[in-house]
Amino acid sequence: MLQTNHLNVHIAQKKCLDDINLQFNTHDYLCVIGPNGAGKSTLLKSLMGIGAASKGSITISGKPLEKISQKELARNISYVAQSHNQHLDFTVADFIKMARYPHHNIFSTWTTDDQVAFDSALFMTDTEAFTDRQIPSLSGGECQRVMIAAALCQQTPFLLLDEPTSFLDPRHQVEVHQLIQNLNQKHKISIIEVTHDINHAIQHSLHILALKEGKVFWKGRSTDFLASSTLSKIYNQEFVILKHPETGQNIALTSEQV
Amino acid sequence: MKSLHVLLSITLASIVILTIAPHIGLANNTDPAIASHILLQIRIPRVLLAFIIGAGLALCGLVFQAMFHNPLATPFTLGVASGASLGAALAVFFGLSFTFIGMDSTSFLAFIGALTTISFVYCISRFGGGFSTEVLLLTGIAVSFFFSSLILLTQYLSDITGSFRILRWLMGNLSIIGYNDIWRILPVVSVVTVLVFFFRRDLNLLAAGDDIAMSRGVSVKKLRYVLFFSTSICIGAIVALCGPIGFVGMMVPHICRLLIGNDHRWLIPASCLFGGAFLILCDGIGRLVIAPAEIPVGVITTLLGGPFFLWLLIRARTHRP
Repeated sequence: MLQTNHLNVHIAQKKCLDDINLQFNTHDYLCVIGPNGAGKSTLLKSLMGIGAASKGSITISGKPLEKISQKELARNISYVAQSHNQHLDFTVADFIKMARYPHHNIFSTWTTDDQVAFDSALFMTDTEAFTDRQIPSLSGGECQRVMIAAALCQQTPFLLLDEPTSFLDPRHQVEVHQLIQNLNQKHKISIIEVTHDINHAIQHSLHILALKEGKVFWKGRSTDFLASSTLSKIYNQEFVILKHPETGQNIALTSEQV
Repeated sequence: MKSLHVLLSITLASIVILTIAPHIGLANNTDPAIASHILLQIRIPRVLLAFIIGAGLALCGLVFQAMFHNPLATPFTLGVASGASLGAALAVFFGLSFTFIGMDSTSFLAFIGALTTISFVYCISRFGGGFSTEVLLLTGIAVSFFFSSLILLTQYLSDITGSFRILRWLMGNLSIIGYNDIWRILPVVSVVTVLVFFFRRDLNLLAAGDDIAMSRGVSVKKLRYVLFFSTSICIGAIVALCGPIGFVGMMVPHICRLLIGNDHRWLIPASCLFGGAFLILCDGIGRLVIAPAEIPVGVITTLLGGPFFLWLLIRARTHRP
């Protein structure tokens, strides 16, 4: 279980996270939404121990973050950053293999466990075909899948994803969405995903957390989200709720899209 | 497998250079007893020293490039060389003469100068906006300029002998007699090499970026701290012994990257071997070109390094998307 108590983060005198109290259970799938600058990425980074110092506490299975070494943390949580360095001068295989770092010490060598983790990460993300390619030569969608593959190769119970489908074309968006859902349902990985795709959040995730100006604006079950009619307040933008002509589910469109 | 072949070729080439180098330029008409004395007490120590120093410089350069994601970040660009030089210049200027843990006064002050500078640059950059590459490089350059003018001042104020001794020290020097200096520098370089090799996986991740490294479990701050200071001590010891031999730490890791790729498991041994062989070659060129006189090895490496530095800049410009 991941938990934050009165989490506050300041970056360059700006309050980025303001008194966040969050309880995140194993096997959950939480989507974090909110306008730009709401503190979504900061929240993920804080959980991963990256970036600015924070006040308040973060605990992982009851153990405070300060008492967990970075290596132990990386055996519990993996993280796919929002923008990844396309100039990473590694082959796909080497880059993914590097994710086994937290399971090694300075003397250990590549084991069958490592190989199994590596192979299944490739299989789950369908990246076997380009293991020999250099990362800079990949397309946006391929690169995103490689980043997710590396995080999976780390074999952690928790996975943090920061806008994994931004910059992807619709087909690759669907692919990545299905992959994430699969990871959560089949492989029981607990997922926190930052996204701007509201309909994706409603449809796939179990819970939604809406942040605004560093504060928790709304949290609850994804199915209750639209009924709460907070959407337009979160983004200061009018939304129209429609029924999906095929599934009958509610979907949200901006007033401009209708 | 390609990396293995490249590493084997580099190993083979350096072994060949190590064995041949001491024999080059040995006059064959002298008394065999004198010739063998020259070989054993002068030539072999010199070649061995060149190898150790070259390996150490290349290794430290490699670590700095990985740590700061910048091909121009070397201990030398961060002001270590100028700090050491100022120390040595002051020792000559004040006519100090003592020995301390086996180092003469010039080496000792050079070592102190190197460590003081690197700590100073480190502190300044911490106060001035974190441990970022830009701040660190700019601080290093500013400190270098400041120290260079102080060195010029001490040279100007010294008498003609002192002035020449300072100038000669600044050009780097590998001529030693016997093996004492080798036994002093070898442990430092080997310990740091082993330490860096232990961190090979960490260095790969660090080269991929701080956020990726941290999310994979590298304690980036602690690692930087350990590597920064251990390589600085290594460089300080090297410069104290041989003077500032520039550009090896920048050129060699780069050439090795082109040859063998970016994986530090291969890069670390490759850079050490290549760096060692490279410095033996530079020293050999310096001894042969205007024989029987010698060109100081630092002059040779800097002559090669200047154009290489420019080539790197132009290459970086054209490769940027």
